[in-house]
Amino acid sequence: MTPRRHPISDRLIEYAAGSLNPERRLVVGAHVRVCPACAGEIAIVEAVGGVLIDALPAVEMHEDALALALARIERPAPPRREPAPGIQGWIDAPAAAVESARRRRRWAAPGVWVAPVIGGPYGRRSYLLGIGPGISVPRHTHLGSELVCVLKGAFEDRGEIYGPGDFCESDEDVEHRPRVTHGGDCVCLVAVDASLVARDWLGRIFQPLVRI
Amino acid sequence: MSTGAGSHSVLTGASVIQAVEYNVTRAMNAVTVSRQGHSVERAPEVRAAKRSPMAISGAQPTAGLPGLSALIVAIAERGDRAAFATLFNHFAPRVKSYMLRLGADGQLAEELAQETMLTVWRRADGFDPARAAASTWIFTIARNLRIDAARRGQRMKHDDPFDETIAPDLPDAILSAAQDETRVASAIGQLPLDQARVIREAFFSDKPHSEIAAELGLPLGTVKSRLRLAMARLRGLLGEAA
Repeated sequence: MTPRRHPISDRLIEYAAGSLNPERRLVVGAHVRVCPACAGEIAIVEAVGGVLIDALPAVEMHEDALALALARIERPAPPRREPAPGIQGWIDAPAAAVESARRRRRWAAPGVWVAPVIGGPYGRRSYLLGIGPGISVPRHTHLGSELVCVLKGAFEDRGEIYGPGDFCESDEDVEHRPRVTHGGDCVCLVAVDASLVARDWLGRIFQPLVRI
Repeated sequence: MSTGAGSHSVLTGASVIQAVEYNVTRAMNAVTVSRQGHSVERAPEVRAAKRSPMAISGAQPTAGLPGLSALIVAIAERGDRAAFATLFNHFAPRVKSYMLRLGADGQLAEELAQETMLTVWRRADGFDPARAAASTWIFTIARNLRIDAARRGQRMKHDDPFDETIAPDLPDAILSAAQDETRVASAIGQLPLDQARVIREAFFSDKPHSEIAAELGLPLGTVKSRLRLAMARLRGLLGEAA
């Protein structure tokens, strides 16, 4: 299934140029690896990067640099890590997300689990959020922005359905209350610049528990 | 990483033209090398100086693999050390240059250039010349290693910086456009100067767009829209010729 909702081109350019922070990079990357259209955009930007790096003025390397490199290539390479098997029912997801889901998942509220992927419980970070069918995230807004890629299931937000592989970005002007569809549970990979700002009483109770 | 003072100087219009011309010359050289074979190892600057500027115009057919790509294939197929040395002499100084521009100090830049070339050796079997030009592939390795180095300080458990390179199949038109350095370089050469400038800044400045905007003396919205226009234009130029 090909995703229908994509990052804006700014994000794809930043991804290809390498200027996204690691938290955002992970979420944009999760979408790109299942989205041929965005991967194509990125291939073009990377080709531009190749031409530009090739055109940079050469900076002198250390005088022994080539000798060192030729010695290093003779050393045995460390074994390549086998990619961990994916998770049943998920899209093909980044290894870091799969590993977090297996090892760092904790129940945060009935029907809701979280697993940190990059960063701690506060501030800029990325995490997995698993939510049961029909459950809503309490109304909230953000300081800075929130990037989401759906790894499993679907949620509804502001009249739109986001399904597997879909990407959704909300900035601080957005106040929303996403709800998981009734078809099944939903797992999202999320990057935030800062903690959510709860907008109702339920959220203010929910947030300290879930710490999202 | 520390930020070297003056490493993010604002480009003048003239230097952009030079850069773009140089891009095109370089891309043409890549094609030339393949025709000459790569037994002769010559500084790229020497080759560049020997090229006539006239060679820039006109679409030269890129029959077979461009030379630098063939070198990577030679590494993959038979562990060709001479091919590696040629690639090293060409790319290591440029990768170092890239790292320095993005704020690495001399030692880190040197290490990351070494690391990039070691990765080229070890992962040469993953290079697909039908999918990317040599310079593109090496750029992505350098970029990923830089990102990985930058986050080493974080608490995050290390994951494979190349995990993300598992990309879905791409449309043929994009593949054939993106793997052809000459076409990409000529497309960049056709961009209006202000668009070429924001593109360069997007790659070679480790700063958010808002800071780039301040340096260029432009509103943020202008920088963003120029970047989008530039990319749309490149896509158009590369797509048209497909």
